This record gives sequence, C-alpha cells and structure tokens, in this order.
Amino acid sequence: MTTLARKAVDWLDERVGIREAFRENATEYRVPRNINVFYSLGTVLLVLFGLQFLTGILLLAHYVPHPDQAFDSVKRIVNEVPYGWLARNLHAVGSNLAIVVLLLHMLSVIFMGSYKKPRELTWLSGFILFNLGLALCLTGYLLPWSQLSFWATTVSTEAAGSVPVIGEYLVRIARGAPTVGGATLGRFFALHVVVLPLGLLAIIGAHLMLVRRIGISRPPFGKPGEVVKKGVHEDHPDGIPFFPNYVAEEIAVVSFVLAGLFAIAVFSPEVFIPADALEPADPFNTPAHIKPEWYFLWAYQTLKIMPTEFIGLAVQGAFMTFLALLPFVDRKAERHPFRRPLFLSLFVGIIALFIGISVWGHYS
Amino acid sequence: MIPLFTLLFSLSAAAAPADTACLQCHGSMPGRLGAPVEEWKQSVHAANGISCHDCHGGDPTDPANAMSPDRGFLGKPEPTAVPDFCGRCHVGVADDYKGSLHGKALGAGGPNCVTCHGNHAVQRASLAIIDEQRCGACHAPDRAMKIKAALQATDDRIGSLEAALEPLHRQAFDVEDMKGELFQARNDFHRLFHTVQVSRVEAGAGKVGEKLDAVQASIDGVHAEIARRHRWGGVVVGLFVLMGLLGVALRRSLHAEE
Repeated sequence: MTTLARKAVDWLDERVGIREAFRENATEYRVPRNINVFYSLGTVLLVLFGLQFLTGILLLAHYVPHPDQAFDSVKRIVNEVPYGWLARNLHAVGSNLAIVVLLLHMLSVIFMGSYKKPRELTWLSGFILFNLGLALCLTGYLLPWSQLSFWATTVSTEAAGSVPVIGEYLVRIARGAPTVGGATLGRFFALHVVVLPLGLLAIIGAHLMLVRRIGISRPPFGKPGEVVKKGVHEDHPDGIPFFPNYVAEEIAVVSFVLAGLFAIAVFSPEVFIPADALEPADPFNTPAHIKPEWYFLWAYQTLKIMPTEFIGLAVQGAFMTFLALLPFVDRKAERHPFRRPLFLSLFVGIIALFIGISVWGHYS
Repeated sequence: MIPLFTLLFSLSAAAAPADTACLQCHGSMPGRLGAPVEEWKQSVHAANGISCHDCHGGDPTDPANAMSPDRGFLGKPEPTAVPDFCGRCHVGVADDYKGSLHGKALGAGGPNCVTCHGNHAVQRASLAIIDEQRCGACHAPDRAMKIKAALQATDDRIGSLEAALEPLHRQAFDVEDMKGELFQARNDFHRLFHTVQVSRVEAGAGKVGEKLDAVQASIDGVHAEIARRHRWGGVVVGLFVLMGLLGVALRRSLHAEE
C-alpha cells in the first residue's frame, strides 16, 4: 500500500474504525466450511442490480418519457450517444440475467432448505425482492414505447379488469386513462426510475441486514461444521474466512456472469430484444402475436388453459402466496433434500411443470 | 401482485381492423364481382393497407352509400383513363409512362398500367415483369431482353442492399436514412422502366448506381462499427473470463491451505 493510501486508511480508521469493521466483516467473519458456489448468487445479484442502476442512470440522462419522443430518444441513445448502445444492451440483457440469477438464488435456497427457521424473514424479504425485480421488468418494458411495449402493456393492464368488482377501477389506476397513453408512460416511468428502485434498495438493505444478523445458513451437504449461537447469530468458528477465501469464489462467479452478460450484450443482444421492440408504438396496428417475456410465459399459459381468467389469476395468486409463506408452512427442521422425499418430488415436479407450461406457452 | 402483471399476455393480439363495406359485400359475392377481393388480398396494395376505396373512391364505412358518386365513388376506369387513375399515387411513373412510346400509343392499341401489372392482384414491380411472352405480344423479343439486361445488375444490387439493411435494423442500428435513400433510388430506377428506351435506361441506371454507392458506403460504415464493437467486446469478455479463472485459482490455492 502506498504511503498516501495508508494515510487515507489511517485517517478513516481513526474516525470510523475501518480496520476493525473490515476485520469483523471480512477476515474474521467465518462462513461454513462446506459452503458452496450457490451462496455466491446473492453477490452476483448485488453486482447485477448495481449495473442496472448505473446503466439506468446513463439511459435516464437521454431518455424522454413522452409518447411522441420516447421511441426516438431510445433510438438516439442507441445510435448517437457515445456507448449508448452498450448501456441500453447491458440494461436490457442485464434485466433478463437478473431474473435468471434471482430464480437460481431462490431455487438453491429452497433446495437447501435455507428458508427454514430462523430465516423466515430473510426468505420473505428475498421473495419481495423477486417480485420487485419482476415489477421493474414490467414497468421498464413500456418505456421504449415500441410496438412490443405498447401492446404488452395494453394487454397486461387489461388483465386487471378480470378481478371481480374492482377490476375496471384497477385498469384505470394502472393506465391513468381509458387506454394506454401518455398518462400510463408517466406513471410507469415514475415507478421504474424512482418508486421501485427505492423499494428495491430498502428491501436489499433489510435482506443483507438479516443475512448478516442471523448468519449464513450451513449447507445441508458435506461435512457439517460447528455452529455456535451468539444471541440470534449463528457463528461458524471452524469455518473459512469470508475474505479472502470465499470472496475469491465470488469474484470468479461474478466475473463469469459478467463475461456472459457482456458477450450477449455485444454479440447477440437480439436474444433479449425482440423485433417488435424495434418498431415504434402504433395503437392502430396490433402485432400478430404478443408473447410475454420468458419469465412470464408460465403465467401466460396458465391463464390460457384455465376456464376463466379469474380462475387463472386465483391459481397464480395461491401459488405465489404459498411460495411467500413457505417457511411458515414447511416447519420441520430437516433440510437435506434427499431425506425429504415429498419435498424433493414436489421440487422437481413443480420445476418440470413450470418449464413444461412455459415451453407450451412459447409454442402455443 | 404477480397475477396482475402476468395476466398481461392472456389476451392474444386484437383482431385486425374490421373489413370495409366494399370487402364485406364483394367478399360474399360469387364470380366476377367477388373475385377482386381474393385477388386484392394477395396484392402489394393489401400488404401496404391500400384498400378498395383508396383507388375506387366511395364510402367504405357506409354499405348503403359505399358506391354513391356523392361519396366520391369512381368505379372502374375506362382503359384510356387507367394511367391517370393509377397516377394519382404513382405520380412520377405516370409522367414517365406518358412520355414514353407506350404512353403515346394509349388509345391506339398501346398498353396501359394494368396490361403489364394486372389490376387487383398487382404485385411489387420487379424485372420478372419483363418477359418475352408479355413484351413479345407487341415487340420483337430481343428488345425487351435488352432493356431487361440493362436493368438487371442495378435491380440485383438494390435487392442485395435491401437484404443487407434488414440485419442491421435487427441489431437496432438506425437504417431509416439508408432505407429512404434506397427507396428513392428504387423509385428513380422504376421510373426508368417506363421510358422503354434502352439508351435512357443505361444512362439512368448509372445515376441510380451512384445513389446505391452512397448507401453501400453507409452500410460499410455500420459493418466497420460492428467489427469494432465485437473486437473490444471480445477483449472485455476475455478479461472477465481471465479474472474468473484467477478467482478460481485463488480459491483453490486457499482451499488447499484450509
């Protein structure tokens, strides 16, 4: 460390105890000896969310949230603003990648039973983050004011109308007008760039606080290490140091994910930017087939195969409620999936069902 | 919350705009009164939203008065009136046609627009329209083939440039200006068809070629930009992979010490 840097650290150390904080939270902070690669997905998500914030701010500097100018402003960003294409592609591809990692993170937590007591609130906050991620994707979808944006939002907001009694009222609230237009763009923009990111930041803070306060759960696989309870905190005295041992693994995983993100954003962004997203919104010209993004295909197909849309909504609502309350439903202490045959069957079966329904939705 | 977002796509795309009164009535008629509807559906006009009333006038929203002259209904034009009928939209081509030997022979056995292009099933004009059978009905076959030969290279080039623009558009490059220049060049080129004079066709094709050179230069510029992005993108991806491998190596070496 150079003298100048050492002096800066000394200065900070005298005032905020930076060395002690680093020791407590990094070098002397022990994580379970049998920790595995899936535990790094939370850090991957932090990096991806950070990148979404950064690219979002760059896009915000040039984006115009007005129906007459939104599409052209995105076109300008992509074609005229220096490296605007990169910011846009990273933002669009990154949002999809964030959903992939969110799903993997949740599935690994479910598989390893990490949601169980005392981590119910950690799970619940993660579940809320997942929903906020989906809401960010949905609201961001409208902003480019493309054919895809316009029609996907028209149909999605129309969907709220199938809720009994208050359906029409909900549609009106979502759109701000009888049809999708400037008012809809305005409120989706506000949600996407202010309300939802603030909510995301707050819940991420709560989630991290809970993870740190309670301690990382011990994986149910491998040689179990010692766990010592200090108040509500689970300590792993025979574990490995978080820094540098596990941070090295996190650096590796984050680097590979970023390599994938940049590869898609530079070489094949069209994988996540459909052709209809390149045409300006035209309220008088409905595209032949509107298909949702891949992560909504299961819901799309569920609604199509149910007798009524309301039943479809109710089924989805019941499933998501079950997922949110999973730690309160599944309260047995056993966490090893291979000692929980019913759980394992449901886990594999539900994933297969979701993939099957999504593929069906894609080709229907 | 999820169901509310995700019902999103429960409705498939809305139906296309309702058929006009013309299509509703004639579409259910047998024989010569109904045939134009099916022919039109396959046409370049239908593909571009040009419907019956755009050419024949009338009120497509009112079945009772759809064919009323008071609502601008024109009906079927006389053969000598066809060039002006089509020329309301195809202005430049109509002028060129009128100045050509074809146009000067109108009413004296010369062809009008539909003689070569057909009427309701009209397709996007291409060189395929110049063939020995069609032109040979009035001319010696070699004359038509000479004109076609003079046009072929330029036509092929326009086609390949159009094909080259599509993947660029798919990659979100703004190709509107290039499309506009190509559209203009194509129009100029199509106008040449109607002069039916080999010397003018050859001279005109040269000028069109200069416009196509400009479009080609723009496309080359975009390809150079794509290559630059790929080069630097590859470097960044490589650096991340390298950093990942270093992380794996560090983790393994630390694991050995644990």
